[in-house]
Amino acid sequence: MTFDQIYDLLGMIVVAAPALLVATLGLSSLVGRPLPERVIGRAVQFAIVTGLLASLAILALMLSHGERHVPVDVGQWVHFGESHHAEHPPEEHATSYHFAIKFVFDRLSVPLAILTFLLCGTIGAFANRYMHRERGFNRFFILYAIFVLGMIVTSLAGTIETLFAGWELVGLSSAFLVAFYQERPGPVRNGLHVWIVYRISDAALLIAAVIMHHYLRGHGDFDSLLGVDATHSWPYIESKVTADQAWSVGLLLLLAAAGKSALIPFSGWLPRAMEGPTPSSAVFYGALSVHLGAYLLLRVSPLLDTSNSLCVAVIALGLASSLFAVFSGRVQTDIKSTLSFASLAQVGIIVAEIGLAGLLNWQFLRYVALAHILGHACFRTLQFIRAPMVLADYAIMENAIGDRLPRGAGGIGSRSASVTQTWLYRLALEKGYLDSILSAFIVEPFLQVFRACDGWERRWTDFLSSGPSRESDKAKIAPAAVEELI
Amino acid sequence: MPVNAEIEATPAVEPEDQSRLITDLIAKIAPLLPPQGPVSAFTFLNVLEALEELPFEEGVRKGARIFGCRPYLAEDQYQRHLANGRIHRADLLIELLTDLGERSHEQIGSLGPLLHLRTAMLSHPLRSGPVEELRWFVAETDALTKMSPEAPLDMRERMISSTRDWMNQGVKNASETTEGKKSVASHQRLLADLMEHFGDSSSWNSDTWEEISLKALWRICREGVHGVDVPWQRPSLPVRQHDLLLEFTGVDSDALVNDLLIRFCASYADQGLADWALPNRAEGFFRAFVELFRQRGGPPDRWRQNLGVELERMHATGVSPAESIQESLHALGVPAEEWEEYLTATVCALKGWAALLYQMEVRSDRVPIPAREGTLLEYVAVRMILERCALQYVAQTTLPESVPLSELRSYLIARVRAHRLSSIEQRALSVFQLAQVLGWFPATLIQLTRDQWTKLVTEIEAFGNLERRRIFHNAYERRYRTKALDAIAIRAAMPARRVERPRFQACFCIDAREESFRRYLEEIVPDVETFGAPGFFSVPIYYKGVADAHFAALCPIVVRPKHWMIEEVVSGLEETHRTRAQTRKVIGTASHRLHRGSFGATAGALLTASLGVLASVPLVARVLFPRLTAQIRRSANSYVEPPRRTRLRLERKSVEPGPEGDGIGFSLPEMANIAERVLRDIGLTHNFSRLMIFFGHGSSCLNNPHKSAYDCGACTGSAGGPNARALALMLNDPRVREILNSRGLKIPADTIFLGGLHNTGDDTCKFFDLDLLPDSHRADLASAEKTLADVCRRNAHERCRRFQSAPLNLTPEAAHRHAEGRTEDLAQTRPEFGNATNALCFVGRRERIRGLFMDRRCFMHSYDPTADDENFSILGRILAPVVPVCEGINLTYFFSYIDSPGWGSGTKLPHNVASLLGVMDGYQSDLRCGLPFQSVEIHEPMRCLFVIESTPEAMENIMARDAVVRRILRNNWAQLALLDPHSAEIHWYRKGEFRIYHPESLRLGIAPTSLSWYQGHREHLEFALIEDAFVKPEYESRTSPSGANHGS
Repeated sequence: MTFDQIYDLLGMIVVAAPALLVATLGLSSLVGRPLPERVIGRAVQFAIVTGLLASLAILALMLSHGERHVPVDVGQWVHFGESHHAEHPPEEHATSYHFAIKFVFDRLSVPLAILTFLLCGTIGAFANRYMHRERGFNRFFILYAIFVLGMIVTSLAGTIETLFAGWELVGLSSAFLVAFYQERPGPVRNGLHVWIVYRISDAALLIAAVIMHHYLRGHGDFDSLLGVDATHSWPYIESKVTADQAWSVGLLLLLAAAGKSALIPFSGWLPRAMEGPTPSSAVFYGALSVHLGAYLLLRVSPLLDTSNSLCVAVIALGLASSLFAVFSGRVQTDIKSTLSFASLAQVGIIVAEIGLAGLLNWQFLRYVALAHILGHACFRTLQFIRAPMVLADYAIMENAIGDRLPRGAGGIGSRSASVTQTWLYRLALEKGYLDSILSAFIVEPFLQVFRACDGWERRWTDFLSSGPSRESDKAKIAPAAVEELI
Repeated sequence: MPVNAEIEATPAVEPEDQSRLITDLIAKIAPLLPPQGPVSAFTFLNVLEALEELPFEEGVRKGARIFGCRPYLAEDQYQRHLANGRIHRADLLIELLTDLGERSHEQIGSLGPLLHLRTAMLSHPLRSGPVEELRWFVAETDALTKMSPEAPLDMRERMISSTRDWMNQGVKNASETTEGKKSVASHQRLLADLMEHFGDSSSWNSDTWEEISLKALWRICREGVHGVDVPWQRPSLPVRQHDLLLEFTGVDSDALVNDLLIRFCASYADQGLADWALPNRAEGFFRAFVELFRQRGGPPDRWRQNLGVELERMHATGVSPAESIQESLHALGVPAEEWEEYLTATVCALKGWAALLYQMEVRSDRVPIPAREGTLLEYVAVRMILERCALQYVAQTTLPESVPLSELRSYLIARVRAHRLSSIEQRALSVFQLAQVLGWFPATLIQLTRDQWTKLVTEIEAFGNLERRRIFHNAYERRYRTKALDAIAIRAAMPARRVERPRFQACFCIDAREESFRRYLEEIVPDVETFGAPGFFSVPIYYKGVADAHFAALCPIVVRPKHWMIEEVVSGLEETHRTRAQTRKVIGTASHRLHRGSFGATAGALLTASLGVLASVPLVARVLFPRLTAQIRRSANSYVEPPRRTRLRLERKSVEPGPEGDGIGFSLPEMANIAERVLRDIGLTHNFSRLMIFFGHGSSCLNNPHKSAYDCGACTGSAGGPNARALALMLNDPRVREILNSRGLKIPADTIFLGGLHNTGDDTCKFFDLDLLPDSHRADLASAEKTLADVCRRNAHERCRRFQSAPLNLTPEAAHRHAEGRTEDLAQTRPEFGNATNALCFVGRRERIRGLFMDRRCFMHSYDPTADDENFSILGRILAPVVPVCEGINLTYFFSYIDSPGWGSGTKLPHNVASLLGVMDGYQSDLRCGLPFQSVEIHEPMRCLFVIESTPEAMENIMARDAVVRRILRNNWAQLALLDPHSAEIHWYRKGEFRIYHPESLRLGIAPTSLSWYQGHREHLEFALIEDAFVKPEYESRTSPSGANHGS
């Protein structure tokens, strides 16, 4: 067996382990025979440990052989238009299209994959006990498996399409997990909120993908886009795209990252995502999926090098989000919101680090950003799963200190608050009005346009049928079960 | 349109009077709110305490209406219980008979007696639902072609043959069998239609006949109910515009209001989770709100565009909260006679937060940062201002026409009423379904007169869903009550022996969890005696341990302690104590800084980017190896924890008690009074053993905001160790003994009392002040400790049968480790089940029921009726706290199980600690009261059955003088039975009188040990006699133990 074959095998195992988990849990539910809790626990354990061992093996092989970039090609799945040799991708092929699935193991993706397995494995074991006997246990673990698969695919993606596929899986499972308690309106409303923001970010990513496919080199393949070759690998690569191209694609990618990482102005969804069971909040929004935006920027970071204005935009957005999160986090009175803003504060800084690395062309900062992602994810996950213990923790700290805990140093909240302080407090309490602004200036006009269209259509159909034309208007709202209280 | 444009109508009454009226109304409504304070000191009180003046059945009905929660389980849950045998049909029949009384034999036309109708309605669930669903059911399912699957097996044949006769006969002489021309005509029309529809009768097979019968039946039912004059039973219309609007348009205006209001309530209530406190908090809820939201530059939310202007006006004119409520009531068009109802609905719209604010106001001693007086009133004022904005906006955007706010209510009422038209389908369908199970054939029904139809429909509708569930519930309770009383009667008929000079004695909390613990103690060493008393042992204190920062109240919630007590290290160890306290302080400050820093940007970045990855070590370790981590934590803690040898500062030096210096502790006479009271209450006035241990109890677990719900309920969610310890010290004090001696209570000099703590989570015991134990008693303690270790293992084993994740074949040692593991696991949501399954409370001598397996379902208080005086003063002072405390615990479990998301706090998995005082669901929700579903999962919701060893005269006497006990027992919020002190006769209390109870069965299971009775079972178990736990005659002469059983 050659090294390449071993790499291919291990690489396939890394991706196949979560994929098989999804298949096992999904199929058993599809045929109406959900697995018992214990079996699900074993299956999760097996899949995660296998994936983790395979990725550790790849890491060990790469380290021992000094390999820095290992692509695993699963092949081209769709291909039409002019044919070309895969090893010499033509520079401009606006008329051809091919859809390749390719995974890349390098210094960026391997740590993230290992982190994903580590955190998801821990949380899987945690959730197996935490969710014991809960209605929706099976549903939780199917979504969990989809999430793990999405995370692994995204982090190892070697082409923009592959990344998009993983990105979608993560988004889908996240939104469903936010709405896990579907019998209450709150989680469903907030799940929808998350889903809409994700769709906006998906749209940006999709447009970026199309542009990369059609107008940039490499047909969406990161390696050729970013200029990876035998001697250059992440992060020491230089992209050959022009500053203008980088600026347009980069902005779209930044929008995609902002949606996924809850940067300004989308930050409102992050605390809303705390509707699910504690472990899902912990691993998804506290630790992994909230970092995906930053990861995307890291992946395309050579693109940033080519455009200083793009770097400045990235830094500005990151810092603004971080400042906003710290500011708003100071007045949050529930532990999960506090933690989610604390998360956001770090994600903002990570994004700023990535921008700064591009601006200064200082590759080392990319490692810092990566280390920051890894460290932050572990640390925050621990804080999240212990969130219900905050009362006991505070009591322990108070007993140790021997007094009430001191409050923050900020002047706001003092007895006679000035007008400005009150105004600022309100701004923080209402989360910077971000959601209100989005809803008033984007959602409402959007709805108004569509309602107007609907009005015209109704008038037209009424005219055609010379009378009320919509049966749905007559439908009554189903009355609640009133009989119970008679 | 600005909101204040609506305020025009000047009230006829003086404004000041109206303000006072509103203040009084809020004060009257407030007690309806759930009595739930901070979750860190969970209080077990009846959530409908304010309605206890009403009989239980009325009270739950009213409470259910106010809060929109279920009063009983859902009907299908009872149906399942009926199917699996938990509810007996015989019990249902008895309950129906009792309920109907003389009416049970009343005939409904020719259809049989009322009793049969009701029995059928209980046994066969009737389909009901919205009109559309019923129409679909009739039109699209095989309801009109196939007999209902509920119908008895032979019903199809009987129906067909009856229909065949009827049709053959009917065609010939229809006019002779029915009266009146009209009905003759309709009868003939029916037959003609059937003939026409089905054609030639010679080709009809039995399926056709079945279809014909059902079609005829359906048509007769439809026509029959058509003309009846029975008023429609409809639930009354809601009073709040929000509910009407929601029903009419489907838009929830409260979603807007609550989003803002919850955030503000949480900021106001916050005890220090947020870094920045709410500005102007000291000015009160209302002013702080006005100041915060009146400024310009707010968010562009359209629904509250006018809020700023309105608040600015209030700020300028200085409107008081009560005046503001009054303005809002006028603006919302609520007539004065409906104010109370309207305000009740408004207060209860966000019951958790309103309840917390109210508790912060009235129990300011229970929170570090309390709320000032009148906070609830101010909250209502704010809520109504927001509601005005939200209603105006929703009405504007969703209603087809513009409706002024003041007329919105009448506008909606008119439309919702029209919207709720009932259909005759439901009536017809009820009769149709009942006809198939009861065998009312077309030939019978067609002969009913209009009056008989009216009576039939009236009777069916008088026995609606809620009534049926009430009967079901009574039958459900009846089954357990019968078993319990039968078992007690059988056991009480056996000899009740006390152990002469027991090996040792132990007194536990009345808690139902201690039932098994005491049972094992008696099983392992039959020559011990156990007692039960409320776990604060009549020592109500504010207590501060040596490593505690603050005092905690260790007594039932209804008591406000008057004494303080602290724990100190013994002299000689002060230096160690000081250095360790210093170390703890350094560590505590550092971890607090770390905690806070991790939320910030720069400190957080440095921390997470550099050391963050290290967090994976504790993360993985704590989740995957919880026990190992716990051991490491424990040994690390041992270097910084305070020295083990400590003392309570027991005796007060100054005259008046106080929280500092000489004010701490009790005076000698006070100690003597407490000591005497406890001993006389539990009936221990002679026959003292050499060693007597008082056990408080508490529980340990991780990651659980509701931890305090597992602690001692009599100590308001704290561990009761210090109370037991203090009591033991008092009883050991020679001066106290001297005073007791002078009062005729002689404690032998060689009797030593010891305080202990039973951890109900991991089943361990620890003792206090062991260094004070005289050498002469070391051997007694060693033997007791050995026994208790065994008891802990067996007790853990019995508990494990209830945990689905614990295999049934565990050894006691493994079970003990399993229980311990649960308390150390971050991911464990059921460290224990607390008092779940509680159903009984026994007040009497232990020896009357000793050896009875009660499956950890019984609260037990020791009481010796033979030692009471003629006024029953001992029983009176026992019941004064025991009845409300046990009823409170029982009903907390009861309601939290009946409607988990309604009365309880739903599943705990998405819980989010808010303001350091309570939990919300997920991102933001009403504050959740009651117990989480995980804590009540195995519960059976039944009202507590008090079995008191006493006489009807004594109870009448006590109920006459104690209003609380009377209210609870007479209004049936708990059940009551009396065991005669001198025989096995039982009196049962029903409808205000005591009647002799006649046991249903004289059989009771017997098992040599508890283990042999429960092994392999996870479900609720029957009562049984446990032979090993009986006092054996040979022990009385203190001969060596042998294996022979003479107990039963």
